Amino acid sequence: MGDAASQTVPALEVRGLTRRYGKLTAVDAVSFAVAPGEIVGFLGPNGAGKSTTLRILAGRLLATEGSAFVGGVSVAAEPAAARRRLAHMPENNPLPEDTRVREYLELRARLKGVDEERVGLRVDQVLHDCDLRERAGSLIGHLSKGYRQRVGIADALVAEPEVVLLDEPTIGLDPHQVLGIRDLLRRLRGKLAVLISSHILSEVEQVCDRVVIIHRGKLVAQGRPDDLRRELLPPPALAVGTDAGAAAVGAVAARLDPAARASEDGPGRVRVELPRGSPARERLLGALAEAGVPVRSLSEEAAGLEAVFLAATRREAREAPAA
Amino acid sequence: MRAFRTLLAHELRTMWLGWTTWAAWSLFLGLQAFVFWYAALACSRGPMPWTPVEAVFRWFPLPLLTLLPLLTMRALAEERRSGTLGALLSTQAGPGAVVMAKAAAVWLTWVGFWASFAALPLLAAATLGASADPRLADPLAIGGGLAFVAVSGTLHVAIGILCGSRTRSPSLAALLTFVCLLGLTVSGGLLDALPTDGWGGVDWLRSAAAHLRNLAHLDDFASGVVDTAPLALYLGGAAICLGVAFRNVEEPD
Repeated sequence: MGDAASQTVPALEVRGLTRRYGKLTAVDAVSFAVAPGEIVGFLGPNGAGKSTTLRILAGRLLATEGSAFVGGVSVAAEPAAARRRLAHMPENNPLPEDTRVREYLELRARLKGVDEERVGLRVDQVLHDCDLRERAGSLIGHLSKGYRQRVGIADALVAEPEVVLLDEPTIGLDPHQVLGIRDLLRRLRGKLAVLISSHILSEVEQVCDRVVIIHRGKLVAQGRPDDLRRELLPPPALAVGTDAGAAAVGAVAARLDPAARASEDGPGRVRVELPRGSPARERLLGALAEAGVPVRSLSEEAAGLEAVFLAATRREAREAPAA
Repeated sequence: MRAFRTLLAHELRTMWLGWTTWAAWSLFLGLQAFVFWYAALACSRGPMPWTPVEAVFRWFPLPLLTLLPLLTMRALAEERRSGTLGALLSTQAGPGAVVMAKAAAVWLTWVGFWASFAALPLLAAATLGASADPRLADPLAIGGGLAFVAVSGTLHVAIGILCGSRTRSPSLAALLTFVCLLGLTVSGGLLDALPTDGWGGVDWLRSAAAHLRNLAHLDDFASGVVDTAPLALYLGGAAICLGVAFRNVEEPD
């Protein structure tokens, strides 16, 4: 993967992927790509078509239309070759209860074509990477949900695939376990392409370079979270902690930018809306101090990925009748 | 081939690490030991038309109908139920390797059960020494019986694998296997019992009945007679069943 040509080929590419069940279209002409080493969040509410898309990419479901490529290899035309380059951890992460962790990973490594002399080495490596060394001899059926997820991820990594598909890797985990999985995913950045399906948006934002959002089977937005915020959301408002009231703050803000709008936002809190790129954003604090308006705090309201998602789905709903 | 070997070794290890296989084996050996002892006792009282070993093999349908469904029920149905079949097929192991490895593991276990029984007459003969009746551990009966179990086992195991290839319920797989094996075991006798004397053009029915008689095949094998018809029935039937199971496993959703 080191040469220039291979760097230009997306690790994962989906073109017009469609899956219909009778009259129901579960996935509707979805197209996106994941670059080598990139971590991409695949977002959508329950039933949006995320797992269906992932199952098509893993070769466990046939697409009605469209195509998918793993490292340039067609999933439909060359399923065996595509499988060698890709690993998939399904949503419920099915594991054999009566097998020990090391034994299971060794089996999976062999079945995934890892050379016999490297099996032990690779298993040791993923046990280390996934903090599973202390549990290597445990029966999988005796593991907690968090450790089972780690085993699933270790299985996905053991044969050094180019692409890893993780379906809801943190679902059902407690906060400590979520932190552990998040750290593990961060360590994968730059090493291999990862597509993480999730409906926990805040979780994805902390790990992923880019997000792809689908809703009712359709792709509604894709890009870096900050770019999507700029594209889909109004400029973030400034929250001023003061008892002076909206009128006093608004008067100062309007002197800096006539487009500024101030409003009460709860007791002792004023919300100031300013155009994106307005110089008032950086000068408001100083101007308020000069005007003698007492200020306890001033911060920019941070819009989460939830707001981006809602804006994208609203836009899709508006545009749908025209399409 | 590597995937088949890997899966076969894993299946055998998993089967023999579980208590159910040991329980089934103990039950099997206990039953066979009882039948063998009882038959040997009967033979010691007077001449019988069968040897103790032949008597044990004549009880063949009982372990076939009770134990084999238990051995095959988990093979594919349990994998489907737990969702691990999809995970298995996401590796380099194709559906062919999966089906064949599971069938081979059950077949080896089944034949292993019967081979372990062969130790009983040999042990009895060795204990009695020179005073032992040579028919107690008749090598032809033992070898022929084991050959019959091995050859017929290909079809019997394949039926069990097929029954588990489409369902997520191991219990349903066991029940289906039991019904199919029962049908195969008694169909020869039932067809033979039909009053076809007055019927015209039903010679094929009699011929089919003759081909399906399990115990007649067992007698043939024990006598050293190897006919191609039972070989074709068992091996051809096994190939068809495993082929259909392969299709069931291969089919993406």
